[in-house]
Amino acid sequence: MFKNEEMEINMGPQHPSTHGVLRLKLKLDGEIITKCTPCIGYLHRGVEKICENKSFFQGQVWTDRMDYTSAIANNLGWAESIEKLFGITVPRRAVYIRTLLNEFNRLASHLIWLATHGLDIGAMTVFIYTFREREAILDIFDAFCGSRLTTTAFRIGGLREDLPPGFEKKVRDFLAKFPDCINEYETLLTENRIWKKRTIGVGILKAEDAIAMGVTGPVLRAAGVPYDIRKAFPYAAYSEMDFEIPTRTEADTYARYQVRLEEMRQSARIIQQCIDGLPEGPVMAKLPKVLRSEVNEVYHPTEAPKGELGYYLVGEKGSLNPYRFHVRAPGFINLQALPMMIEGGLVADVIATIGTLDVVLGEIDR
Amino acid sequence: MNATPELTLLQTCLMAVIQAVCVVLFIFIIVPLTIYAERKVLGHAQDRLGATRIAGHRVGLTGWLNRGMWRMGKVPFLSYWRGLPMLVGDIAKLFLKEDIVPTKADRAIFLVAPALSLIASVVVFAAVSFYPGALFTFPKFVPVLGGVPFNGFITDMNVGLLFILGIASVGVYGIVLGAWASNSKYPLLGGLRSGAQIVSYEVPLTLSLLVPVVLTGTLNFNDMTRKLALETSPLAAPLMAVGFLVYFTCGFAETNRMPFDMPEAENELVAGFHTEYSGMRFGFFYLAEYINMVVVSALASAFFLGGPYLLPFGLHRFVQDWPVLGAPNALWYVVKMILLLFVFIWVRGTIPRYRYDQVMAVAWKYLIPFTLVLVVLAAALRFAA
Repeated sequence: MFKNEEMEINMGPQHPSTHGVLRLKLKLDGEIITKCTPCIGYLHRGVEKICENKSFFQGQVWTDRMDYTSAIANNLGWAESIEKLFGITVPRRAVYIRTLLNEFNRLASHLIWLATHGLDIGAMTVFIYTFREREAILDIFDAFCGSRLTTTAFRIGGLREDLPPGFEKKVRDFLAKFPDCINEYETLLTENRIWKKRTIGVGILKAEDAIAMGVTGPVLRAAGVPYDIRKAFPYAAYSEMDFEIPTRTEADTYARYQVRLEEMRQSARIIQQCIDGLPEGPVMAKLPKVLRSEVNEVYHPTEAPKGELGYYLVGEKGSLNPYRFHVRAPGFINLQALPMMIEGGLVADVIATIGTLDVVLGEIDR
Repeated sequence: MNATPELTLLQTCLMAVIQAVCVVLFIFIIVPLTIYAERKVLGHAQDRLGATRIAGHRVGLTGWLNRGMWRMGKVPFLSYWRGLPMLVGDIAKLFLKEDIVPTKADRAIFLVAPALSLIASVVVFAAVSFYPGALFTFPKFVPVLGGVPFNGFITDMNVGLLFILGIASVGVYGIVLGAWASNSKYPLLGGLRSGAQIVSYEVPLTLSLLVPVVLTGTLNFNDMTRKLALETSPLAAPLMAVGFLVYFTCGFAETNRMPFDMPEAENELVAGFHTEYSGMRFGFFYLAEYINMVVVSALASAFFLGGPYLLPFGLHRFVQDWPVLGAPNALWYVVKMILLLFVFIWVRGTIPRYRYDQVMAVAWKYLIPFTLVLVVLAAALRFAA
């Protein structure tokens, strides 16, 4: 008389909480997910191929548009991997400024994560609060390089210009008020019963599964693995910075929330150290007008806000552009773990889990 | 309450029409005001101003009022209120939009469902009493209606509360049928959620309303508010206070408001049960939700906060001889209602959304047993008295 059927629904590519154009094919038994298949590629522009046809100086513009919420982290990886390919030494002042901006970028990215993650779970006020602080950060980017989102902030060999006048004051003003802002978000969420009910025990990804799937970043650290490229393979000025790697062992959405909030505090600490210990000197290395590569290859991992962002570059003898360019995008690899995390959960958990993975489709589809 | 003069048939019919029109007007004034208040209150909760743009900078009434300020190159004070025409604009926009019926929808049901939702929520007001007597009497020179009292209620049914609960429970049919008739997956999920949720929460909601019913022994709206304010033992006050909290919590679920807005859970189900609706049919659901908020606030105000009497929980008897404050006043009723509406908005700005299974757990595991105990306690109190 009654027939049991599984319902197949499409979540996305146009859906309010798939963070862009992610499409999930969900099989539902009532409200329970029995199978989840992520479909990607709706935002594919062929960034890697385009960069292979651009000179080493030109490619950076395209990295902005991969993970568009953390353009500076992408720029940093690009600039450093090319510097590594050509053996260029960047002046210390430039390295410090890069580190400072990179940490600001981590803040901006984590703020967007908190905003959208909160909004997905229904905490709409956090969204506006975090965007208020992010606005201040974007103003700082604007002051430095003239754009807010697609920054193209660095040059190969250093920076195009030194810091503008008044920059230091802006940074210090921000640092003075930012810890209180994090506390403000915490008053809304951390001890909120509903927030805890929605996040504790949801989307669990155990350490061994995370490692097997190649998951990195806060998602891995929330599973108890203290793997952070800034400590493991220090780049920029991170070897000179004093900061901690926050970890949790619960490996659930709430743990990832706590890890990211603590990371924001640590980022503020790093920014403080950068601005206090900013060395004097030039910001640009002496470079030839044209960079012609040798036969060479380089893989340069950086700790982007979302995880390990690696650039793999292959040089060709005498070429102006890379022979092969590949990006190990953290979002792309973290997204693999999504079906594992949500199968058996409820529809509402899918939303919480996508939020906690902090995926940006610009970087996944490239 | 007051001795009603014998009315002729014509007078009765005319009064019925006039009062119905007044109540509908009241609803259609307070609902856009609530929507506007929601924009503003949420705005301020979120460190922004809320709707400020709709009247434009230099056009419309506010533009004209501000013309001097603009000439001096200053931002006018009235800018803050520029969002006010949104009261009208919201509804006008919905009326003007295309009404799309999906090809594969069950056309007849699809078209009727929103109306069902809206009608159910409006008809409830037939039994709501804002004031237990005549607000004013038509002066003698008015033709036909001279000397007829204008009551603060439409009907003085002796089963008022039962009527309200009965009609209010029809509203869910609009949602479920609309969702089903859309012939689409997200609305279906939303409709199923909503059916389960609203039916579940009706149980503790009704049980919590049973507390004042048991305490007063009547279902008549006016009698209940009067007895609750004047005759109930103050010993029942804690019981009533707890009953109020339970009732109001269930009210959030019944009206699909945060943190129980499962049926539409924007971030999960796109727009839930009304995904396929557009134009004024969507507007009907939208209005029904806000009217339901007003209904829940109105009932809470009447049965738990004293309604037209200043003090609730049988405490009013201590002030009933005071001038002005002692007398029942429709103003108190509306003020309490507005305060509750504010709480609705405030909660939306503060807390996240429950998950569907947790919503059901709250109802069945906590609220229902809890309200059962409340009802038993109320009965015991009534026996003791």
